[in-house]
Amino acid sequence: MGKLKVASIWCEGCSGCHMSFLDMDERLVELISKGLEINATPITDLKVPDEGTDIGIIEGAVATDHHEEDVKLMRERCKLILALGDCAVFGGIPTMRNYVPIPDLLERGYITTESTVQGKIPTSDEIGKHLSKVKAANEVIKVDLYVPGCPPSADAIYYVLKEALEGRVPVLSGELLKYE
Amino acid sequence: MENIKIKVNGNEVEVSPGKTVLQVLKDLGIHVPVLCNYEPLLPQGSCRLCLVEDRGVLKTACTVPVEPNMDIKTDTPNVIAARKLVLQLLFSERNHYCMYCEVTGECELQDLGYEFGLDHFDFPTYERKFPLDDSHEFIMMDHNRCVLCRRCVRACSEVAGHYVLGEMERGIDTMIIADMDVPLGKSTCVSCGLCAQVCPTGSITDKRSAYLGREVQSDIIYSNCDICPVGCGMEIYKKKGANFIVKIYGDWNSEVSQGLLCKKGRYLSLYDEKERVSGIRIKDDFGYRKGNSEGLIKLINSKIKDAIAYVDGSLFNEELALIKEIFKDKVYSIYPVEPQIPSNISLKDLDTAEFFVVIGADLNRDYGAIGSMVKRRVLGKKAKLMVIDGEFNSLAKIADYVFNTKNINAAKDVLKNEKEVVVIYRDLNKEEKEVLSSLNNAKFLFLPQETNTIGLHNLGIKHEKVSAPTVFIFGKDLEGIKDLPIENSFKIVFTPYENEEIHKADVVVGTTNGFESEGSFYNLEGKTLRKEKVLKPVYDAIDLKTFLSEISGKIEKVF
Repeated sequence: MGKLKVASIWCEGCSGCHMSFLDMDERLVELISKGLEINATPITDLKVPDEGTDIGIIEGAVATDHHEEDVKLMRERCKLILALGDCAVFGGIPTMRNYVPIPDLLERGYITTESTVQGKIPTSDEIGKHLSKVKAANEVIKVDLYVPGCPPSADAIYYVLKEALEGRVPVLSGELLKYE
Repeated sequence: MENIKIKVNGNEVEVSPGKTVLQVLKDLGIHVPVLCNYEPLLPQGSCRLCLVEDRGVLKTACTVPVEPNMDIKTDTPNVIAARKLVLQLLFSERNHYCMYCEVTGECELQDLGYEFGLDHFDFPTYERKFPLDDSHEFIMMDHNRCVLCRRCVRACSEVAGHYVLGEMERGIDTMIIADMDVPLGKSTCVSCGLCAQVCPTGSITDKRSAYLGREVQSDIIYSNCDICPVGCGMEIYKKKGANFIVKIYGDWNSEVSQGLLCKKGRYLSLYDEKERVSGIRIKDDFGYRKGNSEGLIKLINSKIKDAIAYVDGSLFNEELALIKEIFKDKVYSIYPVEPQIPSNISLKDLDTAEFFVVIGADLNRDYGAIGSMVKRRVLGKKAKLMVIDGEFNSLAKIADYVFNTKNINAAKDVLKNEKEVVVIYRDLNKEEKEVLSSLNNAKFLFLPQETNTIGLHNLGIKHEKVSAPTVFIFGKDLEGIKDLPIENSFKIVFTPYENEEIHKADVVVGTTNGFESEGSFYNLEGKTLRKEKVLKPVYDAIDLKTFLSEISGKIEKVF
């Protein structure tokens, strides 16, 4: 059993998929002892995946130009791309904003929210610019593996990584394939 | 006709002609995915998921009839690829994201996604925003979730006979519309709710049952509706371990209604918020005070000797039998029981009738299921309709002939030239009765006013105005007791609902009602139907049957 280098990024999502990843609990230790190696992830707080990473996991939809750059870099550096969760696979909840013009969206988010007093729309150049439309990962880059679910169960993530570790292409079915 | 030989996946089989390929495959136990196909409705082939290969050509199994020399293949790479493409197309364009859809967990489109192992979309989704129509009191219509299978359109016309839903535009612009594209709440919809029952996705849903629970979390109870004397079959979804009903569906296997339900059965019975009578109230010099059942039985014992009983048609056969046992022949009906002309057809016969006469009843409003049976014949151009009414009747606009009650003789001139006419009536005046019974080509269907009117009739309980020192009144609809000569009698009322009239009573006892009660009754065709108990009463209400059998035993000891 060889090593399996894994990196992940967190785009437009709620981090629920990464929570589900951690929800593997002691099975994560099992996977690591079998050869799973985690490099750049939001959990390890490393931003850039190593060259030659085996699987790049994407959580969240592609909503800003930064996300677009990040997933493209991921594609360059990883052999396989895994879209994790409904947002990365289908676009998910963030696509709801596709109906709303971006200025209205920002105004609602930063100024007219009921709990906001003297709000201001952030303008820093360091912040990513919204794309006109939120996209699923496969609308931007080629995606090899899909694990839908909101969030996908820890069992599904465990199954996929274990199959990959053992050199098989994971195919989800039954209880592991859920869209909710 | 002779059986024909076809090949299915290489094996020769003999099948009877007239069946569709889908039916044949189903009989053979071969699974074919379907979405738009729904057994009680005519097949349409609009979703195209049931594709099979016949001699190299892809065909929709649900619409193609079997014919000799067919060579059906259901599992070639070609078929599987085509079905996958069709499913991808069904998921495209509109919003088919399950995670924020109300019906997730019992959606047929979602089930198909799981069945096919669909783990991503090949085509863009969610490109355009479609309207959400929440103008209807009970039904929510979200066009974003629609897959245009047209089950709702077919159910609305073929089964429910309303012809309200339809479609407009073509291709990706196709929309399901009500009437001529008006909001559902402003359309001619009569709220039978069948569209929401047959919708495979979250496009047409029942507002009240939203988020109350899934079908797998419910106990399914088959019962008959006792709101009107039709007695439609109900499929009641009661939340497991809780005391509420999630939703009510029409029971397709019901002999009476075959899936039909009306607004009253499907919705109003769940929205019932009429004030209930709770507990036992006994009047003394200072007004009502709370009583208990022992005191009540003692009181009844002291009064029963010279008592009579009035009942209405809401009582079940078991309760009526016990009342008859206690009061012998001193039981009377509050309302008329005798049909002016007895029924001589059953509801099944309506499906073959060719001329309907509806007199004095608005079938859309009062007997929805019968309204559907008549309308699907009339609007399906299989029967003619004559409406005779003194006031507004919503069926008049689809009728071939409309007469005012006064012109009954003109109506007769039309009717006597027909082969056979089915007269559906509730009340007839003297002249109407005379004219109609003189027709020798007429069959009659009497619409009783109350659920178990036929039961009262069968037990020989007559509508008479009789007085006695003590009067027991059992019933739900007490408006009629105003006209009874019982002002000075000692009145003991058993009723579920608060009513002006019960303030004049000396004793008022709250009884169970609706889904809290069970029993059997005769519907208007004379079929014995059963209503099941679904919920525990939340009020302090006695079950009439238990109470009556209790006092029936004790009173015998007294006599």
